[in-house]
Amino acid sequence: MKTAREPLAGYYINLELLGRPHRLYVEEAGQGIPLLCLHTAGSDSRQYRGLMNDAGITRDFRVISFDMPWHGKSSPPAGWQTEEYRLTSADYARMVLEVCDALELDRPAVMGCSIGGRIALVLAVQHAARFRAIIGLQSGASIDPYYELTWFHHPQVHGGEASAAYVSGLMAPMSPDADRWETLWHYMQSGPGIFKGDLYFYRGADGDIRERLATIDTRVCPLYLLTGEYDYSVSPEDTRAAAERIPGVKFSVMPKLGHFPMSENPALFLTYLEPVLAEIRSRG
Amino acid sequence: MALPLETLKERAAGDALLARFGLDFDCALLIGDGDTDWLVEIARGAVVRVARGPFIMPRTDLRMRAASDVWSKFLAPVPPPGYHDLLALRRFRRIQIEGDIRLMSAYLFYLKRLFALLRAPAA
Repeated sequence: MKTAREPLAGYYINLELLGRPHRLYVEEAGQGIPLLCLHTAGSDSRQYRGLMNDAGITRDFRVISFDMPWHGKSSPPAGWQTEEYRLTSADYARMVLEVCDALELDRPAVMGCSIGGRIALVLAVQHAARFRAIIGLQSGASIDPYYELTWFHHPQVHGGEASAAYVSGLMAPMSPDADRWETLWHYMQSGPGIFKGDLYFYRGADGDIRERLATIDTRVCPLYLLTGEYDYSVSPEDTRAAAERIPGVKFSVMPKLGHFPMSENPALFLTYLEPVLAEIRSRG
Repeated sequence: MALPLETLKERAAGDALLARFGLDFDCALLIGDGDTDWLVEIARGAVVRVARGPFIMPRTDLRMRAASDVWSKFLAPVPPPGYHDLLALRRFRRIQIEGDIRLMSAYLFYLKRLFALLRAPAA
């Protein structure tokens, strides 16, 4: 097999995040309009490998993704060993803004999936003027819990394998095996308790923004919501319920995709994403 | 019975994913479709016995019961959204899952694979 180098590159930044020093891992590819991509709970920036390897996108977009603290190649903050990791809605939104500032991104487009799709809605509510477009993948305003979080961080259960097994069915059955299992591998590699900690805001009252959706002004910042049809965590009906409260939002269902569209079947996902990016590009 | 459980032992034998995710798995798993119960005994990751009920007072670690029409959709070669995974059934309250949820969580890949094996046509 011929060796091929991918056009993306990674680097570390040291910055103050949420009032504490952090060492953060960032990957990016391309040039042009900054497109900041937020990974799902318990995973990392590798979920966006398909976007960063697509020349059609990176010709006009600088695709950037960072591993959140505690995730992927980013470190947890010093002193983590005596803390329980719990992500709150306010911290997550603030972290996105602080990373944008640190990377000196000029009104980036932002795209997040799952918990990143939820924070996309929060950003649309609170910080629309900071972004030129917001894209929510698998975005819901709240969630109907159907499993316990206990077993994602328990000495008698492998948290990585349990997390991966719980989310495995969220992908479309027809997504390519290699990409499905790659997506699951990222989950298996997550640190102890991290998937559970990410879901803290997502499943609780802290993250329930149903009543704030009507305040989103899509004239300030366009909002796109794309949801895979096989996702039962955030089903198309869940996203539709959110979209019905947001004047001017553009919502579409993605057939034959599930909860991890950019990672479980990148090629198919790009066919749904490209018209959105074309609109963003044409507006400049 | 919508689920072809009489063939489960053959389907499971030698399966690479069950071997990968079944390390030290022991479980008495009851599966029901509303009319019939089946008891699947798993020892050290191998399906060693599948018995058809009714049972009087079975000892079980996990019990999974769904209506026959739910299992039929689950078994479709390309199952519709919401019927394509055990937890999809759970999400929409189409399956009852009871018992040792710690055990289920530790071996969920195995259990999902076991049910998925029922989807393929019998050899």
